[in-house]
Order: sequence, then C-alpha cells, then structure tokens
Amino acid sequence: MTTGEPPAEDLQGVYDRIADHFAKTREYAWPEVESFISDELDRCDSLERALDLGCGNGRHAQALAEAGADVVGLDVSRGLLTEARERATERGFVVDLVHGDASRLPFLNDAFSQIVYVATLHHLRTREARRQSLSAVGRVLAPGGRGLVSAWSTAHDRFDAEEGFDTTVDWTLPGGEQVGRYYHIYDPEEFRADLEAAAVEVIDCRVSSGNCYAVVAPPDDVL
Amino acid sequence: MKESLMEILCCPIDKHDLELDVETRDDEEILEGTLTCTECGESYPIEDGIPNLLPPDMRDEAAA
Repeated sequence: MTTGEPPAEDLQGVYDRIADHFAKTREYAWPEVESFISDELDRCDSLERALDLGCGNGRHAQALAEAGADVVGLDVSRGLLTEARERATERGFVVDLVHGDASRLPFLNDAFSQIVYVATLHHLRTREARRQSLSAVGRVLAPGGRGLVSAWSTAHDRFDAEEGFDTTVDWTLPGGEQVGRYYHIYDPEEFRADLEAAAVEVIDCRVSSGNCYAVVAPPDDVL
Repeated sequence: MKESLMEILCCPIDKHDLELDVETRDDEEILEGTLTCTECGESYPIEDGIPNLLPPDMRDEAAA
C-alpha cells in the first residue's frame, strides 16, 4: 500500500485485469449483508426487485436471489460481470446483469425495493461522484425500500489515520504482478456527512469489521 | 438480457426511456442489440447478452 497521490489505474481496466483471480477469492457473502437480507425479510415478508450495486462476482446477488428477490447486478467491469454470469450458472441462481457506472445509474426512479451497495462506493474517485452515487441510490429505491451501503474505513486495523484519505491498494496476481486500485478510505464522520449531503434518508449508521455501514431509505420516506 | 428488464432501464445520462432494437435472440435472452434513448438519441449496445449502459465517456476506457 502506498499513500499520497494515487497512481491507481482506471477502475474498469483494473477489475477487468484481475477479475478471474479476484472472483476466486470472493466466495462468501459478508455477514453484514446476510443480516441486512434477513432484517428485510422480517420487515417485508418477501423481497421484490433488488439491486446488487457493484456486484463483482455476484456473491451478494446470489444471497439476494436465494432470499427470493428478483435480482439485478450492476458493475463497471465487464470482466467481473462475466464472472458473475458464470457463478450464476454454476450455482443455479438468476441475476440480470447490467454494465454501468455507480454514480450515473441507468435505472428508472423507484425501481428497487432493496439495494446492496457494499465495498464499491470507496472506489469512486471524487467526493462529488460519491455523493452523486448515494443520491442515485435514493432515487432508484422505491418508497419503503431499503439500501445497505458500506465503505472501507479508517477504523480498520491496517490504517493509522483519523481522517479520511485517498490511497492505492495493490492487488497481487498469482504471477506476482501488482495492480493498483484507487480507494477513498472514509472516516466514519465523513461517511455520515456524505450520506447526509446526498438525497437519501439515513436509518442507521455504524462501523463494523473496519467498514462504515449505513442502512438508507429514499428521501422523505415516512415510515 | 431479458426483455422484462426494459421495465426499469433508462438512459444513464438523462434518465429517459430506452427503445429496444433486437439483433439476436436466444429464447428469452436478447444476445445482441441496441438500446436507444428516446430523448437524447444516444445508443447503448447489448453485447453478448449484457446491456452496456456505461455513459459514453466511460465506454472506451476498458478497451485499453
């Protein structure tokens, strides 16, 4: 890991290059996502149309599909979408895949009842793009819908910082080649500030396992 | 992609509806085709069954 001016490659290009190896190391759904899904099942009885935003190899799309949702997976990397399609075929779940950008979502307003947006927001390079993306989540969530957002945090053991910062985290391919990925590491207060600046309603905001988490609803959602 | 996805897809730029033009279909799956914005006229390819709805300024980045 190096700090300072990030020499990170373009995000699409990075994940296209590492997609195959990356997917093999992303087997299981995060426990925080499992508990969000189970809370949503308790709250709504059944899941409707869900979005896995930054779906990667589709592990969380799989968890949503197995909980009964009609799942759409969006990712910026075509290589990762191919991995997600293979996983869906191998594991026997259904996901509709879309190639797109997290801050300019190609979905109509109110399209989703649930959104899982984990470990993706921190890859967007500007604060404006991150806030725009959080507002997009609020826009495409249907009234009464809920989204789970996570980002890497300064609270993680590997970081020695109080304030949020930009960095490059290398991914090491099996041959030893290193590929740099841009991250914005959030401090928890900044994470909350970005949520509050965006057009979403924050239901819950916390730190868990070195990540910031928030459960969000559409703006002005009165429940 | 399945045609039912059209219910929720829109142009990533101006959020208007898209018009579907199918070139190749395999049962329910649309394999190749084009999505065109009914407002701005921008067109988005469906490639090997996956709609590419990246905004045009990001579309060529991964080609390198």
